[in-house]
Amino acid sequence: MDDQQLLLGISRSDMLARIERCGRDPAMLDLGSNMLLHFAYEYLPDPPVSPTAPLSLAGASWVPDGVDRISRLPDVLLRDIISRLPAKDAARTPALASRWRPLWRSAPLALVDSHMLPDGGASGPLIIGAPSPRAVTAAVSSALAAHPGPFRCVHLTCSTMDEHRGEMARWIDTLVAKGVQDLVFVNRPWPMDLRLPATLFSCASLTRLYLGVWTLPGTAAVPRGASFPNLRELGLCMTVMEDHALAFLLERSPVLEFLLIMWSQTGARLRLVSHSLRCLQLGYTHLEDIEVVDAPRLERLFLRNVSLPGTGKFTMNSPSRIKIGRAPNLRVLGYIQPGQTELGISNTDIVARSKENIVPSVQILAIEVQFGVRNAVKKVPGFLRCFPNLETLHVHSPRISEKSTGKVNLKFWQEGGPMKCVVQSMKKVFFYEFQGSRSEVAFLRFIAERGRVLELMVVVVAKACFSSVDDDVNVKLKPLTGAKWNSKACKLQIIESPRTDVAGPLCRHKIASDFGWADPFDLRYYKEERISVS
Amino acid sequence: MATREAGKKMIMLKSPDGMEFEVEEAVAMESQTIRKMIEDDCADTAILIPNINSKILSRVIEYCNKHVPTTGATGAAASDTVAPAALAEDLKIWDAEFIKVNRATRFNLIQAASYLNIKGLLDLTSQTTIDTISDNSLEEIRSFLSTKNDYLPEEEQTIRRENQWAFQ
Repeated sequence: MDDQQLLLGISRSDMLARIERCGRDPAMLDLGSNMLLHFAYEYLPDPPVSPTAPLSLAGASWVPDGVDRISRLPDVLLRDIISRLPAKDAARTPALASRWRPLWRSAPLALVDSHMLPDGGASGPLIIGAPSPRAVTAAVSSALAAHPGPFRCVHLTCSTMDEHRGEMARWIDTLVAKGVQDLVFVNRPWPMDLRLPATLFSCASLTRLYLGVWTLPGTAAVPRGASFPNLRELGLCMTVMEDHALAFLLERSPVLEFLLIMWSQTGARLRLVSHSLRCLQLGYTHLEDIEVVDAPRLERLFLRNVSLPGTGKFTMNSPSRIKIGRAPNLRVLGYIQPGQTELGISNTDIVARSKENIVPSVQILAIEVQFGVRNAVKKVPGFLRCFPNLETLHVHSPRISEKSTGKVNLKFWQEGGPMKCVVQSMKKVFFYEFQGSRSEVAFLRFIAERGRVLELMVVVVAKACFSSVDDDVNVKLKPLTGAKWNSKACKLQIIESPRTDVAGPLCRHKIASDFGWADPFDLRYYKEERISVS
Repeated sequence: MATREAGKKMIMLKSPDGMEFEVEEAVAMESQTIRKMIEDDCADTAILIPNINSKILSRVIEYCNKHVPTTGATGAAASDTVAPAALAEDLKIWDAEFIKVNRATRFNLIQAASYLNIKGLLDLTSQTTIDTISDNSLEEIRSFLSTKNDYLPEEEQTIRRENQWAFQ
């Protein structure tokens, strides 16, 4: 936790000096911050325009036939084509012929600054320490000044804004005045706590806003009455904000449906009150306390808290408490670590008329359980009892570094009180990174023997479990395969995990907020990609 | 192609050259224009599609047939049967084949997609034009598109200077 606090409010040179005083390699600083930035960039939405063709259209014939068909298309179509072009290509079209001259100014602008890098952004985000691309910053200024608006999308992720404070203020004034709909504005570090001008809060045209590596303006500085009446999606990546800034933002965004907070440097508590929010994603945040106070439309709550690959140091702790108040439509919840997080339920919904601490709406739950840690496993039954209508359970079993603190056998599960969801509603169970321990098998067997409506159980066996010489997966799973299954129709699938460097449950944040995916934790068919950090 | 199930509502589309096409309502409603007509109850017998000849209209219907969601109105993908990613990949390959047509047809398809308001088809048909313009010099673009430069040299210079940043 100390490590991430240090990244803020401190200059790069001071930071380097500290690292050297501790006798560490100064190169670690850039490596670490690159990794953080990489995660931040990963969370940003893809721009709607692309310098490279997204479709494989090589086969489409494009032999000139001497007829200028394109000029015959109506203005509305030509403008549509222009607004799909990368900004520079679009801005060149007025010089093609007089037919094209007035169109660029009247076509909504799509400006993505990384497209203006010499390689068009093909090599990915800039690395830390790379000089801020001054030509790109200058071109952004020119483009924003030359185009009268509106701006369909403006994605600015390349410039070190600390070196361009004048531009920063002018850009935001222009974006507000000309009306931007989709804005991504990521500052390049250092420092990591550059303050964003409060004028942005007057941008009523915004429908989607992603901010990265900023300190949000103090709420006192925000113009009175300023709001985001059209904002549907908000992402805050590596931002610093006052404790009550989030509540302030939610209050000023009456139609917000998607909220992402990634690596937040906010205070330790999150209190959610929103009558429009449908999906809340928390990625690598360090929050002690999450409280869903009043969110009648909330359907999905995602938490992603894992240790970063290859570094024991940056372990992200789960929140110590999640409290669910009024969230009658919460259907999808996870990943939670029962061993570390306490679940509090204060269901004030009058309809429920129940004193029980349950969230009846949750159908899909994802948990991370350290099966080698007795105290962690012991929390699981209590968790499952909170969700009496659970249909799908995803369980991730992380590899245990410390010594196992006792096994949990079948008896433990059998002797506890009944778990309604296991018996009556659970249809699918996905178990990821099965390590081969008896505790894991006991849990799976318990579900198999109790589950009356179980349709599918998928056990994804960790690579390490497959590779150990004298260990036979089949032998280990024997108590499960040989068990007396309560639901005869249930299918059992055993799959070898494709993952080698497992740093936590597999999550796809873009799927998390995609309501087209009925179960956003079900990534069986999703192509596995490794994260490469340059 | 999906087999037609009994009981599905059919709609008649007519091209100006007198051809009639019977299509499932769901397929026709891939076009936002037709969807609006159906929802406004303007489609009791047959819908006349002006300005789109039968050859182009049949291609448009072919596209809509392929792209109509198979999972119904919820939009939720049936992840137990076909993976959404695999389905999307399959569609991309089909699209790339579909768009292998001559220029005249392609421009007719752009106009049809625009009139009928079929976003996916408009994206697809516009993309080849976008590819032509992206990352090419003005001279190359003019040559590809057979567009004649009707500016005087000094006029063109002035216009270039207005967006000098785009030529650097």
